[in-house]
Order: sequence, then C-alpha cells, then structure tokens
Amino acid sequence: MRKIFLATSMLILGMSSSVWAAPSGTLKQAHDLGFGENSSLDPISKGRVFQMTDKLMDRLVRPSTDGTPGPDLAESWSANADATVWTFNIRKGVKFHDGSSLNADDVMYSFTRVLDPEIASPARSAVKMIDTMRKVDSHTVEFSLNTPFADLPLTLMDYRLRILPDGSGDTIAQTGIGTGPFKLQKLDFQGTTTLVANEDYWGGAPGVAKVELIAIPEAQARLQAFMGGQLDILYRITEQQKTMLDGSNRYNVAQVPTGNWRGLVFRTDVEPYTDARVRKAMRLVADREALVQLVQGGAGNVACDSPVAPNDQYRANISCPQDIAQAKALLAEAGYPDGIEIDVHVATLEPTWPTLGVAYQAQAAEAGIRVNVVQTPSDGYWNRIWMKKDISATRWKERPADQALHEIYLSTAKWNESFFKDSAFDELLATARRELNFEKRKALYVKAQEHLYENAGTLIPYTVTMNIGSASRVKNLDTAIEAAVRWHLVTVD
Amino acid sequence: MTKMLTRRVLLGFFTIIIVSIIIFTGVELLPGDACTAFLDRDAFGKLLENCRENLGLNRSGLVRYFEWAFAALQGDLGVAANGTTSIGELVGDRLKNSLFLAGCSLSVGIPLAIFLGVLTGLKRDKPIDIIVSTGAIFAMTIPEFVSATILILIFSVWLGWLPGIVVVSASAPVQDFFPEIILPVVVLAMVMTAHMLRMVRSSVIDVMSGDYVQMATLKGVPYWRLVFQHALPNALLPAINVVALTIAWLVGGVVVIEVVFNYPGLGRMMIDAISDRDLPVVQAIALIVGSAYVGVNLAADMLTMFLNPRLRTMYVK
Repeated sequence: MRKIFLATSMLILGMSSSVWAAPSGTLKQAHDLGFGENSSLDPISKGRVFQMTDKLMDRLVRPSTDGTPGPDLAESWSANADATVWTFNIRKGVKFHDGSSLNADDVMYSFTRVLDPEIASPARSAVKMIDTMRKVDSHTVEFSLNTPFADLPLTLMDYRLRILPDGSGDTIAQTGIGTGPFKLQKLDFQGTTTLVANEDYWGGAPGVAKVELIAIPEAQARLQAFMGGQLDILYRITEQQKTMLDGSNRYNVAQVPTGNWRGLVFRTDVEPYTDARVRKAMRLVADREALVQLVQGGAGNVACDSPVAPNDQYRANISCPQDIAQAKALLAEAGYPDGIEIDVHVATLEPTWPTLGVAYQAQAAEAGIRVNVVQTPSDGYWNRIWMKKDISATRWKERPADQALHEIYLSTAKWNESFFKDSAFDELLATARRELNFEKRKALYVKAQEHLYENAGTLIPYTVTMNIGSASRVKNLDTAIEAAVRWHLVTVD
Repeated sequence: MTKMLTRRVLLGFFTIIIVSIIIFTGVELLPGDACTAFLDRDAFGKLLENCRENLGLNRSGLVRYFEWAFAALQGDLGVAANGTTSIGELVGDRLKNSLFLAGCSLSVGIPLAIFLGVLTGLKRDKPIDIIVSTGAIFAMTIPEFVSATILILIFSVWLGWLPGIVVVSASAPVQDFFPEIILPVVVLAMVMTAHMLRMVRSSVIDVMSGDYVQMATLKGVPYWRLVFQHALPNALLPAINVVALTIAWLVGGVVVIEVVFNYPGLGRMMIDAISDRDLPVVQAIALIVGSAYVGVNLAADMLTMFLNPRLRTMYVK
C-alpha cells in the first residue's frame, strides 16, 4: 500500500515539474521621463515613452535576429512587379488587450493616423511613400505607393509604427491598448508604471509576470539605481560609467554596435562651405580611428561620413584615412593657403560633443585650420544653434539606409541640417528606390554614400557602440537595440 | 502689536506679487516657449501651431500674466504645459513630499544641532569642541552631491543596507518613502546641523560670558541650573531665525539632493518647469516658495518677540 502511495506521489511530482513554467518574477527598467508632462502611450506622438509602447504594442514587421525584416503582426507580404503595390497578410487569431480581435481595419486605421497631416506625427516622414491603402479582406491590406519602393517592409520595422485598435486615437495616449506581450496595469509616468504579462499573447506567454518602468531623469541616478539592484536592465551606459561595473559578477555588460552617430555639420549654403573642396578638406583632417578612441573610449565603429549603420545591408565599404597634405592642398586651391579660422558650436546636451570638438580642434590644427570650440547652452540648442550656426554638433539615432539618406540629405528634407542641395544625389536616391534588383540597388546606395564622402558638409566620424547592462538574474535578453528585443522571451530568476 | 502684524502681512503680500512678476518676466525672456521646448527638433509647421493653440501661447505675455494672476487670486492655479494636468494636484503632491523631507530632516537636525552646539559652547576649546567643530566645517564645505554620492556608494552599493534612489511616484502616501528617505535625510541633516551648531555655539559662548551669568555664579547657583534655566533660553533666541531660514530653504532650495536621489520634490520640479518653459507651474512654485519665506520669517519674528519681552516695546514710541 505504501509502495503504491509513494509511486503515485513520485509520478505526480514528476509530471508537475515538467509542466511548462508560467510567467514569474518582476523586471525593473527605467525611463528618463524626457517629455515630462507630455509623456504619452501613443507610439506616433512626440512624447511617446518607447520603453512602454515597445512592450504594449506590435508592428506589422519586426527586425529578425540578423536585421532583415521578419514577420510580426504581418505573417507574409508580397509586391507587384514594379514594387508600387504591396500586399500584407495579417496574422489571424490575435487579440488586443481589451479582447477585440485584430483585423485589417485596425491596420488601416493605425497607418491613416500616421499619415494624417493634421496630427503631423514625426513618424510621418518615414512612410510618406504610401499613397493609399485598400482593405482586400478581413486579414489582408494593400498599400499603394507613390513611387516604386522595394524596401517597404524594412521601413515598416520603425519602432513607432505600432498597430492600434480601430478608433482608439483619442484615448490611446492613456490606455496603451495593443497586441503586445504585456498589458497596462497602472500608468504613472512620473513614478512607476506597471505592466503585467499578457497570457494570451500570440507569440506565447511572456517569461516575466510583471514589468515595472520607473521614471529616473538623471543618468547618474539611473546608474546608481542599477548598481544598487533597484533596476534590472540599463541601456546606454557610457564608457566612463561602465568602468564601475567591470569585474563584478552581479552585472553583465553587453556591447551592441548601433547606427547612432555624432558629428559636425558644416552648412553647405554659407561661405566658405559652398565650395566642395573646403568641405572635403574639413573632413579629411579627421583621424577617425583616433576620434573613436578619444571620444568614445573605443566603443564605436569608424564611419566615412555615411549615416548608414555598420550592419545595414546597404553599407558602403569606404576607406577614409586622415590626409593632412591633401586637406592643405584643397584649402590652398580654394583660396586659403594660410589655413582658415572656424567656430564649432557644441553643448553638453550630448556629453561627448565638447570632447569631439576639442579632439577635432587638435587634429584640424595640423592642416592650418584654427578651430574655436564655442560652448553654447543646452537649453534650446535645437532651436538656436542647430541648423542656424555655420558649424554645429549633431547626433542621430540609427535608421535604415534609405530613410537616413532621405531624411538628412535630400534637398527637400525637413532635417537637412547641412542644407545640402544636390540634384545628382537626389536622382541617385530616387533611382535606387525604384530599382527592384537587390545587387543593383545596393550599388546605387553605395554610390550615394561615396558621393557623400566626396561632397557632403557633414563630418560623420563614427557610429556609437551601445553598452547594455543587465543584472545577472536577467536571462534571455536579446543582445540588440531596444527596438529589436523580443521582450516576451526575457526571464528573471 | 496687531498693527505691526497687519503691516507685515501686507508687505509680505506685495513682496510675493513682485516676485511673481519678476519670475514671469524672467522665464518669458528666455528663448523659446513651452512648445518649442517639448518638440525640440520637430518644432515647426502644423505640429508647432497645434501645440501653441492648445496652450494659448499665441497671446501676448501681458495678457497671459493677468489671466493667471486673476485666476490665482481666486485659488485656481491652472493647468500644466500639457494642457490637462491640474497644477493644484501636481504641485500639491510635490509640496507634500518637500514638506515631509523637510520635516524629517528638521526633526533630526535641530535637536542634534542644539545638543552639539551647547556641548561645544560649554566645553570650548576642549578636545570635544575641536573634533565637532572640524567635523562641522567639513560637512559645510563638502558639496551636497559629493557627500550624497559617497553615502550612496557606501550604504547602497557596497553594503546594500539602504536603497539608493527613490523610485516611488510623487503622489504616493508619505509612508511609502521609507526606507529610501533615510539617506537624503542624513545628508540634509548633516549640512543643516553644521550651520546651526556653529551658530548655537557662538551664541552660548556669548551668553555664558555675560554679566548676569557671572552674577549668578557668584551667588552660588548650581552650574547645570544656571545653564538650562538662565543661559540657554537667551542663547537659543538667535537660533530661531536660522531655523526659519533653514525651513524655507528646505522647502524650495534642495534641488541638488532631489536630483541625486530622484526625490519628487518642489526644487526639482521648478528646474524642470523652467527648462520646459512651463509657466503656470513655475509661477505656482514661485508663489509657494515666496510665501514660505515670507511666512516663516514672520513667524520667527513673532516667536522671538513673544520670547523676548524687550522686543515687544521696541516699536512703541
């Protein structure tokens, strides 16, 4: 009798331990409350708190582990012969957090909002090529473009293009209803916002039961909270801060090369930078490898004035060594045989700008370029200095190649910070978009980047490598930028 | 007495009005407005227009000031820069937090300062005085963010005894701030005590060398009765003014501590509001801090006059 009892209890124990584990534990992350009172859960608004929207809502397309477009809410897609009409098949059986089912209406509503000129979302510029949308059936949507564009899925990977329930525009900023692996339990932008696991998530129940997002505006305070165990993950740890974490087995620091970059913009519409030779000279004096070491402490990849990310499929392989002799020759040819005096405007808005300015000053001096590094207040930098002064520092977050080249260098782009108006370049971009063959398209984008290296007014010396800190209790966190992390896979001990 | 009181209150009221005008003008003169601050790179076109219309920023500064002033007189402080959150709630929460922090710091700092001040005053130039006075000088000169960061490093990161950063939201009830509030209180009490104890010490030394104390000693009054009944009440009078200023400082001026510890208080909110050009919030906080200084100073003067009968007849011809 006892033997039977023992055997049965062993059997039951054995079975229960092989039952698939339910979501457990709490993950704590911080956000910097960059928009204060204007914070919002609307993914296309200026004040979007992406740490929250990334977990609450899904996109049609997401970056897969190798960076190419992979299915998210769209299971598959296809284009017509000249890539002007794209058809997306929406995943079936997906539910929003409020119980309603996902269908084509929700997709069309979400994109109509992004394209609405009245809402004027900053995300609109990413999808301006979409002309009209058509609902083919309950789970199929057709996008008609105003230009042939072979890379539409790549563009739809943008972290802001999340799918919302039809008609939720007025309330989405506070409700955050989406199809994502977590749903909103308590919203408090200024304090701690709590998200709980969406057990019915279409990708499988998440590994953690709760996510807490805590507002900590100050970078130093975030680091201290991470070191003291009050946070489990910390993104964008600077090189100086990283030294405090080295050698400890309580934290893991992963490094991810990103396409984020910092640089100096020389306005091409003011003297003497209207002359391409002067512009090239300004950029030739930069020893980019040295700048990576000095400014980023080695955490960066050399870039040759191209805003395309190092692991982007359209990245051009250009060699750009420092060439003082050539720079001097170009300046002499342009009418500055004794060098030139310039003012470079920086601010501590981006902590590495002043360092970049000073390092550049030392390098440019060798070619007779006398740089004055002008410190300006961070407050109002983007309104008073950037796109106003002759030379200013700038920074950009990464984007797909096509988007980056259009947003920064197209003659009609809003953020064409160097006022670069080059019809040959515009033509190259337009042709590249229309080209359906990948190899030929890549060749065109490479040519565009080489054109920038020869003629642009913006010095892009490197792209930044991001340090990501995680406590040792966090497991299965993808080593990637936040927009590519599969949050439902993360578990905590 | 009441005439003097009403005069002081009226003067205080005018002071606050002038303060609000100066601060409004100051923030208005800064380049940009609430919309350009929020939108930064996107501040142009329809987005900027919509934003400005929503917040009524397309009207002149004068109009906006008087509109705010009339509403404030009726008790309606308006809404924050996002157009929706009520300032009463927003600032009310922060005020509660600042008062709580101030209360805790004062309840630790004042008794400690008085005790140490009396001790060092009586035992002047003895070893205990030298140690405590030197310690006070260190505490006064080391910047708050240095001592705060060192304490966090020792107690939160190395020893793990106390949490380093406040992660509770602004609207939480005050008991939720334990135990995160311990380190900020320690830092504030350190700075406060250092200043006050030196003031109490010199005051005690001054009083103890006075004629009537000598007389009492000659008469044979026991030492400790002399100290507590005769000397101390007089020595502590000047301390009241220092305490008053300290209270006002604690309510609006401890920005550095609030930032380092992520504490949701008034000081940090003021700085954020200026940088966001959020004028209604800036004005509301200016009102509160201004009233705090005026009110606390008035209370201190009243208390001093009550305790020191000689001052009561000073204004009577």
